[in-house]
Amino acid sequence: MVDFLNTPAPYIALGLVIYLIAYVVYSKYIDKRVWNTDPNKPTPAKLYTDGVEYFPVSKYVLYGYQFKSVAALGPIVGPIVAVYFYGWLPALIWLILGNFFIGWVQDYSAMMMSVRNDGRSMGPITYNLMGERVRKILLVYIMIYLIIITAVFAWVIVDIINRIAGSFIPIIFILFMGALFGQLVFRMKIDILIATIIAIAVVFLGIVLVGALPQIRVPPFNFLDPGLVETNMTWPGSWTVLFWLIILAIIYYLAAITPMPRFLLPTIFVGFLPAIIALILVIIAALFTPLTGITINQIPVKDLWITDPNKFQTGPLWPILFVTIACGAISGWHSLVSSGLTSKQLEFETDARPVGGGAMITEGIVGLSSVASVIILGTFAATAVTYAQGAGKLTSSLTGISLDGMTLFYAVFVVVMGMITSMLFVRVWRNVSAELFEKSILGNKHVATIVMLLLMIFLAFTGSWTNLWIYFGGTNQLLAGLALLLVAVYLASIKRPTIYVFIPGIFMAITTVAALIWETYVYSYFLINNKALGPQVNVAKVFGQGVVQISNGFSAVLGAVLAVLGAIMTYYLIRGYIKYRKEAVKT
Amino acid sequence: MPKEKKDSIFKAFKDTLMGFMIHSQVTSMLKMKTYTEYLFMIMTMGDMLGMPLLPPYYSLRLLPYMVPNIKSWKLRMLRDRDVTDIVVG
Repeated sequence: MVDFLNTPAPYIALGLVIYLIAYVVYSKYIDKRVWNTDPNKPTPAKLYTDGVEYFPVSKYVLYGYQFKSVAALGPIVGPIVAVYFYGWLPALIWLILGNFFIGWVQDYSAMMMSVRNDGRSMGPITYNLMGERVRKILLVYIMIYLIIITAVFAWVIVDIINRIAGSFIPIIFILFMGALFGQLVFRMKIDILIATIIAIAVVFLGIVLVGALPQIRVPPFNFLDPGLVETNMTWPGSWTVLFWLIILAIIYYLAAITPMPRFLLPTIFVGFLPAIIALILVIIAALFTPLTGITINQIPVKDLWITDPNKFQTGPLWPILFVTIACGAISGWHSLVSSGLTSKQLEFETDARPVGGGAMITEGIVGLSSVASVIILGTFAATAVTYAQGAGKLTSSLTGISLDGMTLFYAVFVVVMGMITSMLFVRVWRNVSAELFEKSILGNKHVATIVMLLLMIFLAFTGSWTNLWIYFGGTNQLLAGLALLLVAVYLASIKRPTIYVFIPGIFMAITTVAALIWETYVYSYFLINNKALGPQVNVAKVFGQGVVQISNGFSAVLGAVLAVLGAIMTYYLIRGYIKYRKEAVKT
Repeated sequence: MPKEKKDSIFKAFKDTLMGFMIHSQVTSMLKMKTYTEYLFMIMTMGDMLGMPLLPPYYSLRLLPYMVPNIKSWKLRMLRDRDVTDIVVG
């Protein structure tokens, strides 16, 4: 038996207990005090039933759907990067308290705001409360967000596929089975349970085959760049990375242009089968560490106040920590999901708490599992491979399955989570482009998709991924802050308490704008000094410093645009909030 | 544990898995079905909307099948549309 406090178990357990208190106590308080939900009040699902988008659905189904829609690489990779920068204690504290006070509040409140506004999504509500200008800024923001998130996820996936040789082969099985599943169920009318069993068998066959047969673990690490093999790193600007980015782009293109039930949705179905097992197993394994003898191997706190831009990967604790852990603590994407479809299908107002709040708290648990996975390792890289290695170690000790096998399993899990969400993002971009640019060539589905994928490849191929990750976190969390402020404006307009959303909204808006400004400064520093950020050294070597300059220039401009747009939106939202509060005081 | 409670826990678990894996497919298929219904609705109502697509004899033959869908069709046609509606697909 090891020293209990030197294992991940007590800290993960503490996180679980605090999340439970968040759900049982704090969320109930907000539910009654702020929104005063009434199970007898008809929801839009009942008022406007059309059998297509608006129809009542069980809260358990919606909970599963909400969690699937919001879960991605954010809670997996973010904590790893945060632990790498600052140590595990600050990361854990933000993960727990951020979700407690802000994360679930945002998801739930966005959902309730939509329910109380006839099921409208964020765009129309923004228009009603704030006018056309703010809505347009929100749309531009979403477009830029989609590019950044797809690029950064692409890098994470390529890094894993490259470092863990053979991990792409199970993905081929999943993609193949996804395409086949749709045919089995909808064309050949095979019973869904039988088709599911076949799908599970094929997916696990893929994983077991690669685990059991080392000779099929191809292609090897940095296979197109033999000179880079000894560096033990995946390098931007390398031919291997370009190869994998093109492969991903082809898959995303197919997912974007084919009908959803043909390829994308069955692939999501098949891909999530191992994901569910992976998530549950790693949390259980973390709680059993006192018995399996796995201890913490990381220091709790590192240097918290780095202001030297030459240490480009990190920055001061505030604001960088708060944008590094995206999704596990808070995420703006969730407000779009909450108000986009889920709110239209809530059967009772009181279901918003388990669906919106519950799903976000579950995502926080995913973040806890990521912290547990990284703190048991010695030296580690700030990449998703670390998650696969740590989760593999945790679960291998619990299950007795080989470390190599479990590491491969978790590598596949991470790639699946990243690919599935990326395919959806590319498809969303294609649909949004069709709406916004319908009269131009950019509205064409093929052109729009290709433009997006080219931007994705450019950013992932030439950029420094940890800095891109902070852009992603900054954009994502800023969207969250703006969503919270919009909810505050709405609550002020109906004379309900606003403090529980306004203060978190202000905090997130200021923090994320500061983070975007910091990253813009870092990119500008390197641009002005004609230097390459660490991972870009290879890009400079192969393609010349000019490409690095273009990439850094583009990134600096992007960051500046995002920071300015975010600041403008925050200003308008605060102005709107003050206006509605004054009217409330008068009446 | 009473049987009803066991059944409700099992149903909750099953529903959660359904939501996790199937619900997005269901909504997507419903939307695809709706677009096909729109086609029939336009053919049936076409002459009332200034688009005489079918001779009245055929649109009147289709009308009894489309009448139950008119209310939801109107709701969908007249609803606020926005890009953020299609963000979740």
